[in-house]
Amino acid sequence: MNIKKVVLILLICLILLACLTGCSGPEKTITSVDDLKEAKIGVMTGTTGELLAYAKYPDAQIESFDDIMDGIAALKAGQIDGVITAYTTALNTVKHNADLHILGGVLEYDYNSIAVRKGDDELLAQLNEIITKLQNDGTLADIDKRWIKADLSPYEKVEIKLPTEGDVLKVGVTATREPFSFVDDNQQITGHDAELAQRIAVELDRPIEFVDMKFSALIPALQSGKIDLIISGVSVTDERRKSVNFTVSYYKNAEVAIVRNTENVAGISFFEDIKDSFYSNIILENRYLIILDGLKTTVIISILAVVFGTLLGGLICFMRMSKNKLLSGIARVYISILRGVPVLVLLMLTFYVAFASVDISPVLVAVIAFGLNFAAYVAEMYRSGIESVDKGQTEAGIAMGFTKAKTFFYIVLPQAVRHILPVYKGEFISLLKTTSVVGYIAVQDLTKASDIIRSRTFDAFFPLIMAAVLYFVVAWLLLLGLGYIERHFDPKVRKRQVKKAA
Amino acid sequence: MIRVEHLSKKFGEHVVLKDVNAEIKKGEVIVIIGPSGTGKSVFMRCLNLLETPTTGKIYIDDVDILDKNTDVSKLRQKMGMVFQSFNLFAHLTVLENLTIGPVKLLGKSKADAEKKAIELLKMVGLAEKSRNFPDELSGGQKQRVAIARCLSMESDIILFDEPTSALDPTMVSEVLAVIRRLAKEGMTMAIVTHEMEIARNIASRVFYMDEGLIYEEGPPEQIFENPQKEKTKAFINRVRSFRYHIATPDYDLYAMNAEIEAFCEKHVLPKKVRHNVLLLLEELLAMINPANNWSEIDICLAYSEKYDSLMLTIESGGEEFNPLQESDLADDIGSIIVNSLGEKLEYERVDGKNIVSLIVKR
Repeated sequence: MNIKKVVLILLICLILLACLTGCSGPEKTITSVDDLKEAKIGVMTGTTGELLAYAKYPDAQIESFDDIMDGIAALKAGQIDGVITAYTTALNTVKHNADLHILGGVLEYDYNSIAVRKGDDELLAQLNEIITKLQNDGTLADIDKRWIKADLSPYEKVEIKLPTEGDVLKVGVTATREPFSFVDDNQQITGHDAELAQRIAVELDRPIEFVDMKFSALIPALQSGKIDLIISGVSVTDERRKSVNFTVSYYKNAEVAIVRNTENVAGISFFEDIKDSFYSNIILENRYLIILDGLKTTVIISILAVVFGTLLGGLICFMRMSKNKLLSGIARVYISILRGVPVLVLLMLTFYVAFASVDISPVLVAVIAFGLNFAAYVAEMYRSGIESVDKGQTEAGIAMGFTKAKTFFYIVLPQAVRHILPVYKGEFISLLKTTSVVGYIAVQDLTKASDIIRSRTFDAFFPLIMAAVLYFVVAWLLLLGLGYIERHFDPKVRKRQVKKAA
Repeated sequence: MIRVEHLSKKFGEHVVLKDVNAEIKKGEVIVIIGPSGTGKSVFMRCLNLLETPTTGKIYIDDVDILDKNTDVSKLRQKMGMVFQSFNLFAHLTVLENLTIGPVKLLGKSKADAEKKAIELLKMVGLAEKSRNFPDELSGGQKQRVAIARCLSMESDIILFDEPTSALDPTMVSEVLAVIRRLAKEGMTMAIVTHEMEIARNIASRVFYMDEGLIYEEGPPEQIFENPQKEKTKAFINRVRSFRYHIATPDYDLYAMNAEIEAFCEKHVLPKKVRHNVLLLLEELLAMINPANNWSEIDICLAYSEKYDSLMLTIESGGEEFNPLQESDLADDIGSIIVNSLGEKLEYERVDGKNIVSLIVKR
């Protein structure tokens, strides 16, 4: 593939995306809370906002998003008319988006609390005590002042000396919830709740570790013991009470609605817009570092998973083709189960069930889960590749005096590889792209990195395009590498080489 | 060198070999013949354990190869095998096909192995193809490379499993020539084949296999000229025949001719004979057709292995009519052709049918 083609494809992608964001249905203007009744409202799954929207606006069309920034992006694109979310989030949103504003009037109050595992009563009691203490000595009010800025002035971060010895306190956060928990320009998790968590760690005299994962994955992680508590702007709902225990509230939040401005802000040119986006998404606060880190993680997971899966696939294929009924039965079951389970489900099962009580790096879990999945697919690929080699080849090798193993490695494998590689390449690329779901188990990969940036800038366009381009480039480079190997095994190329040498 | 005792082989319930006893001595050329499905190939494949015998013993240089402690791979290095379907290693060049064994198994240096390989390729006449891949060769060339590959391993014996069956008739001779040369040089060989010519000319002993055992064995003169047992006689004297039925006057002449040519090719009859058959048939049909008012005609070509002769018989209905005696027929040239190309011309009238038979001259 030459450079021209690549550029052309990228251009087409850009144009398509521009069309998609540009085209939208008839837009509705919301000027008061009453207008929401028959509007399209965006909410975040499992939040107070969602419950509130269903209760208060039964006639409205309610769209649930996995993350609030996706809702904001939809609002900006005109796909929905308003977003109901917490006041703190709303503040932050309008700070970054001049075309949005908060609708006057509080819809409902809700209370943020720390969630702990059911049965972990000791920690719950300790936390309640600490929160009450912090409230009484005014620390909580100070934290609020530093992080909740109605006038949109900068946050005031304070350094807290943290304990280094002792049992690590694992705090589950979703680092896309500014101002409660988010990633700052030093790639550190910070914010209102982060500070609270650190203060709690000091009170408990335990070192602290933030585990960043998708909001919907926090509660399962808590239940399975991957984390000890959740402090991430979680508001108390009856639904959540069924799964976890909540401490006393540490912050009273309000639910408000964000809508588009009635009049458009004076239009700026397309290129200016791109330039601004580039600056705020990539340069500002060294955000490209987040992207690079994520890219590194994505590549590491993909390559390790492929290596692991390739080797395991060889073993599974060997078992599958074995004459031993037990071995081939096991391999058959393995292949059909692993191919039948979505890889995201497999990933979550590995993390929250199989390794629930084991302290293991989520990156390693991702490598294992994707490797297991990859192995099932390549095992069958190997089998069909090996079976496509004529039996006579094996017989000739054996008759010549090669052992079975040597016949396989010298005669059958080189011929099978040629059949396997084209499909293998496709599976490799598919794996690379599927790794984008690792955000569910607190791994910060390329997709997660673009999510983090989006959560700060509320700009759907740039981080996503950036991620898309990077995935494409990585896939392309990997394909080039595999293509090199493929040429090595292609008899036509070998013929040319042999003839040239002659 | 090889001794086989009470060998039997079953595939499930199906008994292929019942009780085979045989001995192959150094320098012998054993040719194994017999009807299809009598276990010739299975017997051959048992010798290097590509098939595991059900019962019996096989000794190679007095080593029991069925013993668990025997290194079968090592023994196989001394026994080359040439397959019906060549089985050249498709991912390797001709040269590499000849060097992979010596380098990986005999521990030779690459340079030595290549030097030897080129010599062997020269011997089978394919040195200039050394850098080609197997799929660029004709069947005959592939089989010659396969033979050279066995020689590269410096085997003590080469087993040939129907080496010419998958070949186009025009390529059979080039492979047979190589086999003949090896026989002359004193190579020990065991050959399963349907080529009676090779059995007759190069075998030191012939095994006739039938009923799951070696039914009769002996020097080729005995087996071919004077077989002792009933089934051997039947096999040696068997005639192979080709029949064609002409049902309507609008029959497909070209299809018939093509089938006759294929039959002649299959039995490696000279081109001249093939040409004669077609010419004879054309003339005879031209005589018979008008006379029998287009009743059906049956043609039979029969080839006898033993006498190496080809007999043509034409049966036709209609009134009594002897084309061989109708000298007053307008088409005199027809009679001349028939008389000059055929011999032992005979005419009979049986069950209301005219039967003309003759032997095609060679």
